[in-house]
Amino acid sequence: MNTYTSIPFSLTFLAFKGYLANFVLLLLITCSINLNAQVYQVYVAAESDDVVQRVSFDANTNQGWVDATISVGKLPTETDGPHGLTISPDKKHWFVTIAHGNPYGYLAKYSTETHELKGTVDLGLFPASMEISEFTGLLYAVNFNLHGEMEPSTMMIVDPETMDLVAELPTGVMPHGTRMNSTGRKAYHVSMMSDELLEVDTYGFKIARRLALAPNMVTETTTEETGMEDLKELLNMDQSSGSRMGWMKEMNNQSASSDQHSHSSSRQTGRESDADALEHMEHKAHMHESAPLIKPTWADPHPNDAFVYVAGNGSNELIEIDVKKWAITRRIPTGTAPYNLEVSPNGKWLISSLKGAAATSVVDLSTGEELAQIANSRRVSHGVAISSDSKYAFISVEGIGGEAGSVDVISLEALERVAVVETGKQAGGISFFTLIE
Amino acid sequence: MNAKVLSIFCLFLVIAPFYVHGQESQIRLLNPSLELRVNERIQLEAEVLNAEGEVLPDTVVFFSRARRSLVVSREGELQAIKPGVHTISAMTLGMDRIRQDFEVMVLFPPITRVDWEQASHTFYTGTTLDLAFEVRDSLDAVRSIDDLIISSSNQSVFSVNEFNQLSLHAAGIAQLNVLAGTEQFSWPVEVVENKAASMSLAVTNSSSEAIKTGDVLHFTASVMELNGKPLANMPVQYSFVAYPDDQLGQGSSAQIAQDGRFVANHPGKYSIIARSGAIQATMNITVEPRKVRRSLEVVGKGIVPDVKTSDLWVWEGVDGRDYAITGTWGARGEAFLWDVTDPSNIHTIDTVQVDARTVNDVKVSEDGSIAVITREGASNRKNGIIILDVTNPSETTILSEYTDGLTGGVHNTFIYENHVYAVNNGRKYDIINIEDPRNPYTVGVFELDTPGHSIHDVWIEDGIAYSSNWGDGVVVVDVGSTNSADMPGAGGSPNNPTPLGSYSYPSGWNHAAFPFTSKSTGKFYVAAGDEAFPYGLDTQGPNRAAGWIHFIEFDGWDNPDEVARYQVPEAGSHNYWIENDVMYAAFYNGGLRVVDVSGDLMGDLYEQGREIALFLPSDPNAAIPNSTFTWGPQPYKGLIFLSDWNSGIWAVKLGEAQN
Repeated sequence: MNTYTSIPFSLTFLAFKGYLANFVLLLLITCSINLNAQVYQVYVAAESDDVVQRVSFDANTNQGWVDATISVGKLPTETDGPHGLTISPDKKHWFVTIAHGNPYGYLAKYSTETHELKGTVDLGLFPASMEISEFTGLLYAVNFNLHGEMEPSTMMIVDPETMDLVAELPTGVMPHGTRMNSTGRKAYHVSMMSDELLEVDTYGFKIARRLALAPNMVTETTTEETGMEDLKELLNMDQSSGSRMGWMKEMNNQSASSDQHSHSSSRQTGRESDADALEHMEHKAHMHESAPLIKPTWADPHPNDAFVYVAGNGSNELIEIDVKKWAITRRIPTGTAPYNLEVSPNGKWLISSLKGAAATSVVDLSTGEELAQIANSRRVSHGVAISSDSKYAFISVEGIGGEAGSVDVISLEALERVAVVETGKQAGGISFFTLIE
Repeated sequence: MNAKVLSIFCLFLVIAPFYVHGQESQIRLLNPSLELRVNERIQLEAEVLNAEGEVLPDTVVFFSRARRSLVVSREGELQAIKPGVHTISAMTLGMDRIRQDFEVMVLFPPITRVDWEQASHTFYTGTTLDLAFEVRDSLDAVRSIDDLIISSSNQSVFSVNEFNQLSLHAAGIAQLNVLAGTEQFSWPVEVVENKAASMSLAVTNSSSEAIKTGDVLHFTASVMELNGKPLANMPVQYSFVAYPDDQLGQGSSAQIAQDGRFVANHPGKYSIIARSGAIQATMNITVEPRKVRRSLEVVGKGIVPDVKTSDLWVWEGVDGRDYAITGTWGARGEAFLWDVTDPSNIHTIDTVQVDARTVNDVKVSEDGSIAVITREGASNRKNGIIILDVTNPSETTILSEYTDGLTGGVHNTFIYENHVYAVNNGRKYDIINIEDPRNPYTVGVFELDTPGHSIHDVWIEDGIAYSSNWGDGVVVVDVGSTNSADMPGAGGSPNNPTPLGSYSYPSGWNHAAFPFTSKSTGKFYVAAGDEAFPYGLDTQGPNRAAGWIHFIEFDGWDNPDEVARYQVPEAGSHNYWIENDVMYAAFYNGGLRVVDVSGDLMGDLYEQGREIALFLPSDPNAAIPNSTFTWGPQPYKGLIFLSDWNSGIWAVKLGEAQN
């Protein structure tokens, strides 16, 4: 970082010229500013430029800048698409999901100190959002499969230390928006094309619960799925017919033809029971019956209270779920197409990017009232990262075509945009790194 | 402190970390053996011990480091899938987790079948024969000859050496024994007296013209008895001695195959030697330089100063004038229309801008009325293709945007008989009917079913699609084959794409495929091009690439044979075009290469002096100034048009011979 307590040579020169009074005044101002310097740093991924950038914002001057640009990706003449970003709890590494590969995307790990690539591990089709559980120490990433068939995708569990794939769990259709609760015991994500919220037991490597988000959708509340049988089947299919997609299609065919129904919450150790398997298949069939209404795109648990908040991208609402009751407790109307969201660390505000409105919404969680809708600097608002002191929201905004992306800095106290930092094209995944005081 | 004390202290410093490390907690596996047969399952049991060796209550979870070979559940249910030594990991969970790796041996299944491919051969004393076996195990997997122990029952009749060659010493009968694990296989080998008395050597494809570098000569050796009677099935080894004209540290100057094909890379004198047992024949030949070099002049250029240029297509418009369209890369989603009627005055006449960052590919229909451009990086992530009316290229209009199922991004396309073949999301190609270009619809899809399959490009000729599929290589599919196709189709159609054959190679770099029938030999080849960037890619500066073009001769769809390569040192292949036995190839930092691919193809075409011309486009006003990165060429009306990533579009012309 730059040194903020140094005295510029020019000031010293002025003093020797006899402008002592001015010098003292300037010195006092300089010291005052520098002693209270507050520089916030976020990492942001530019999906159409194959770079990750570190953006700094000085709260005293309301100036922001890109202080590091790191090229990522493996396909030099194609767009690899860095999408999701997260930072290790010890802040020594940042992780980025790369959407495209040949054909699978992957996770890459970089040092926050040197920005050096430390390792990669292959994930699935269009891996997207992720987070590390402080309880298990493992990283949980969903394969969004944004451009694939409308079929169940997977969550992948990675050891972020060694970058080994530890487990793969079948989950919903186009899963997105993975966030941990404060203990790291539960991870939440949504299934965009089946209108569901999913709760992952991070220790048990299993989907613990699913919740239907559409008003008239059947809620399946207590199903526990291990996923290991499906995974074995997946791998065996890879062996016999060779295709991961083939397995997926087969599962869909099975589910589409299945007219059996069973509701069992029983679970056998380490293996999915027959009843569970039937339910799993029935569930998949159900997912294909109707077009999604909510199109949820993000989930974020409250830092203190037992709630999870979901962005209803298709229904223009923010949905509050009581995780104890495993039920929807509030639907908060918002602007067009909320996409990502985050609850401020102090638990007071729910900040969401309104992709369709090119704006950022700030909702007071105590009242459910939208305090402000702040215009973003360009179109296609994307990600939300909030500073650890809950003072600023950093919004990544994609832009269109050759337009630069940006990080818009929003003061949560003034409820206004205070800075715009231009970034690479299609700024998407964003993660708060640190506050330097 | 004396020296002895200091030494002990230093030793302590060295040993201490290991001692401490050795005292850390560890995971102990309780299973007595980690040796499994294929498909066998076991339950792993493990415990965590602290530094004092006390068992801790921590749960151990398991995962496989080789998931296609060994499946293990979190709880340790292990199933062996493939033979070999694989690793599983056991670990506790938490930020200070302990982890240990364990090796699992999955035993190879027993070999149950060994077929000796020369069992019916005639064996003559004094000769040597390469042994070839087909080896399969109980799971019908192909196994290596290295898994066999091969021996002779009578070393005086024949012996087997370390190269798995049969050396036939004396007339008689002995057993060829093959031990595969506990299974024994045997064949009687009757060695007969070698009556060979003479050998003759001839070139079966001789020509009245002088032999030039790159010409493939077919040598055939005939072995006769004393009475002149030919001896059948005599093993013959071919070799040569080179006396190249340039003897100043020359590398390999020629290549000979054991079927008698010979090609010289460099001019000079060569003695071709055929040997069978104790007899041999020699033929001396003189090889002259190929002398195909021609000058090349720049006719015109259209410099694109601010963005990188991708693909191009040149066509004759419906008004009889000549036009080109080029795409752009990592920019504003533009495609540029050029008037190239006067190639010395290439100029833009229209720009189409779509919601994308990259317009990678551009193609125009045969009648010159419809263009298709691809989209990647659309702001709504729907990508797909844009169909343009280019009847009047100065006023290009968008007829339709088609994204159904194409949202992942379309990287390449091909237009063939009112259908667009669109490479979709790097996974498959969709076949889209554009009879009504305002209302396109998908009629078929072709996708491989191999693990992790991927695709980059597709090219159609005579109703047969040749796709390039990275690790899966070139895949040939009948999408409506016509009578003019070089080999019979399989009744495919756009809505029923039917696979015909494929060929892959180990690097997995297959990026392009171009089919062609040699005008001079009638042989059918597919030129399979690589794309590789082992040195990375700087989007803001000069670059270099790697990879080459593989020439695969198809003698039947199920009989591909990689016979030659064209590789430019320190540069890498990209797009190319072959017409009238001349290849026009873009080699990124190696620029444009014009190459003579006439005659039989064998070996290293670059070394054979087949390069007709070389051009390195660069311009000080280019997006990347003064630097070459050639994307793709197209021969057109006696000119060669090319797009260059750094600089834009160029027109060049071959000139006089330069020998």
